Amino acid sequence: MKTIACLVLALLCVVPLRVHATIDDALSFALEAASPYVKEGFTVREDYWGGDLPVKQKKAIVHQLFKGNEYWFWLGTDTENAKVTVHIYDSEGNLAEAESWSDKPHMAAARIVPKATGSYYLIVEIKRSSEERTRWALAYGFR
Amino acid sequence: MRLFSLYQKFRAATGLVLAVTLGAAPLVANEEAPPRKIDIATLPATMVDDVVVPVPTEVFGVLDKLGSPNWHAVLRKVENPNLGDRAQVALLLGSVIAEGFIAVEAQDPEEVKEIGRHVLTLAKAIGVSKAVISRTSSIIEAADQRNWTKIRVEFDGASHDVKQAMIELKDEQLAQLVSLGGWLRGTEALTTVVQKNYSKDGAELLHQPALLDHFQRQLDNMDSRLKRNRVVKQVRSRLPEIRPLIEKPDAVTSERVDKIHAITTELVKVIGSKDS
Repeated sequence: MKTIACLVLALLCVVPLRVHATIDDALSFALEAASPYVKEGFTVREDYWGGDLPVKQKKAIVHQLFKGNEYWFWLGTDTENAKVTVHIYDSEGNLAEAESWSDKPHMAAARIVPKATGSYYLIVEIKRSSEERTRWALAYGFR
Repeated sequence: MRLFSLYQKFRAATGLVLAVTLGAAPLVANEEAPPRKIDIATLPATMVDDVVVPVPTEVFGVLDKLGSPNWHAVLRKVENPNLGDRAQVALLLGSVIAEGFIAVEAQDPEEVKEIGRHVLTLAKAIGVSKAVISRTSSIIEAADQRNWTKIRVEFDGASHDVKQAMIELKDEQLAQLVSLGGWLRGTEALTTVVQKNYSKDGAELLHQPALLDHFQRQLDNMDSRLKRNRVVKQVRSRLPEIRPLIEKPDAVTSERVDKIHAITTELVKVIGSKDS
């Protein structure tokens, strides 16, 4: 019994105690990025995408957009000092966004005014992170 | 605004010719510029399977910008919902929520409240009422205040919450049926509006091949019990007929809109029918 207790104590010393964050934490940063745009009339969807990624690996999301709307996509991560980006391409693979930014801690965003209705590709990337895998969440809004 | 000040400084420094060229290029703040072209066939990224299905408002809002649709004529009075099996209730729940978005467009507070109550009844029938009680209360409250923006958010939230609750109950396929039911009623409403006043821009909104592929994939992957379900079976057999009609954005003719309308109307009827 004494041996087990010592072993547990030793393990606690070696393995740093980590708070297990979830995608929800990443989402809260995405929604924080969205908040100024809500005041500009953007409706934020309840559904969102999320996951975790190693540095320099990308994720692609196919999403239906409608000509006549304007969209913002907001990417969030809860990892300190991580740099994340999101970009939007049309179905031909052309960069289609009107603007994007990634200069705020924990978040990045891209805006598009689609020239045509159809499928678009959202490319999410972890540019830099201290974690092996970095959690991310992507929300969007339209007006 | 750092973004704009950076851009303005850059324009001033690079002269008119370069500024005009960059005028068409996207503004990228504080990062290395993304590639201007990627090869979609060999994407430099793994695909995310999750598809977020647009809410009807995303489409209806565009229709509002194109003209002034008579949403009252599109709105269908929701009768006491027929409580069939769980698959049918899930499809019906999606289509009733879509009806809620139409009621908002029609700015009909009484119908919005009625639909809010039906959403709760259906959610109860499928065992996920806890997830939507506060949403439906908010819908009814916001309808009294005619707060249409709030009602839209709450209907979207209700749809999200019931699907999440179903996923937590290991009923992911039922959650998929909620989305499909909503898409079918939303598309039926869209075709009704486009039929009344055909325009290429309006018809182009039906160009949704990736969404159709997504629904078809989900139906094909459902367990055999669900595939044998009479309502699911009919939806699964008719859905592929829509795909070729919306393949190209500039080829959604008036005749094609009529065909899509006929298919979606029939399927929405099947979803709500007692005999099915």
